[in-house]
Amino acid sequence: MSEGIWLWLTLAAIGSTTILTRGSFIIPGERARLPATLQRALRYAPAAALAALVMPDVLLVGGELDPLNPKLAAAVVVILACTRFRNPWLPFIAGMGVLLLLRKGLGLP
Amino acid sequence: MNESFKRGAAEGFRAFLPLSVGLIPWAVVTGVAMRSIGLSPLEAMGMNVIVFAGTAQLGTLPLIAAGAPLWLIVLTALVLNLRFVIFSAALAPAFAGYPKRHRLLSSYLLVDGVFAILSERILKSQDAHWRWGCYIAPSVWCWVLWQVFALVGVLGAGVLPADWSLEFMATIALMVMLVPMSATRPMLVAALAGGLGAVLLRGMPLKLGLIAGIVIGIAAGFAAEHWQQRKEPT
Repeated sequence: MSEGIWLWLTLAAIGSTTILTRGSFIIPGERARLPATLQRALRYAPAAALAALVMPDVLLVGGELDPLNPKLAAAVVVILACTRFRNPWLPFIAGMGVLLLLRKGLGLP
Repeated sequence: MNESFKRGAAEGFRAFLPLSVGLIPWAVVTGVAMRSIGLSPLEAMGMNVIVFAGTAQLGTLPLIAAGAPLWLIVLTALVLNLRFVIFSAALAPAFAGYPKRHRLLSSYLLVDGVFAILSERILKSQDAHWRWGCYIAPSVWCWVLWQVFALVGVLGAGVLPADWSLEFMATIALMVMLVPMSATRPMLVAALAGGLGAVLLRGMPLKLGLIAGIVIGIAAGFAAEHWQQRKEPT
């Protein structure tokens, strides 16, 4: 991990993407429009990006595919908690509960 | 203070209040997650103020922790924030005549929840003061809530034991955002293709597999949408 000034520069660089995207049309102040096709394609960016971050984390153990690992079990429970119940805390409690039970209770990696 | 600004502020705040309560777990979890990769409380709160975007914060944390190259971290944050380009384009007409500092502030504060709940009302109103009140009151409220409860997470993380796999909270938070997003068929296709693409291409140098996976996901979602429209023309 980067330290000190480099970390702050990294944070500033990440922050610049926030203001660049949010301000992209508001700051210029003109009644500009995004091409419709691009707008439709961009709608898929967040879902694709979130899945591209989540799936390697829950499917891989040490860089190898492992379909029977505690994180994947926890992920399945999180999906069930999100789809079946409305409580915003439940996915965190249930997911962490399953992960800790399997790791601490059963000693899985 | 202007009378119609106040009325706008009251309406915006009332409409956004219930949803904003749902932000509390996010903020707490983001606070814990930032500490779990080794950020100091000051660095964590610095990130929270500078970035002020939960998805981009949670999504870049594993990359910061792994010492990924800066361009990859920034590119990932950019992709995670791309939806705001759409929101910004949609809201721009409502703010077109405002002073520059108003437009800067409203850009920094633009979040999914306020856009989702209030953009229609704001765009419909002819009263510039009412629009500004209706946007800025819930947006500032959201910012305060986000900072306060992230701080709760940041300070609370210190008292939690280190071997509790707390970094997984960030993954859970990303999933909690992803699951409702994947409610339509093309969105689900985009997510599955993006995720599996990133898994299968993990061997690519410079962690390019992540970006490749995202591009595959966007293309797959777009293709699925076209295919769905051809099957059932509306």
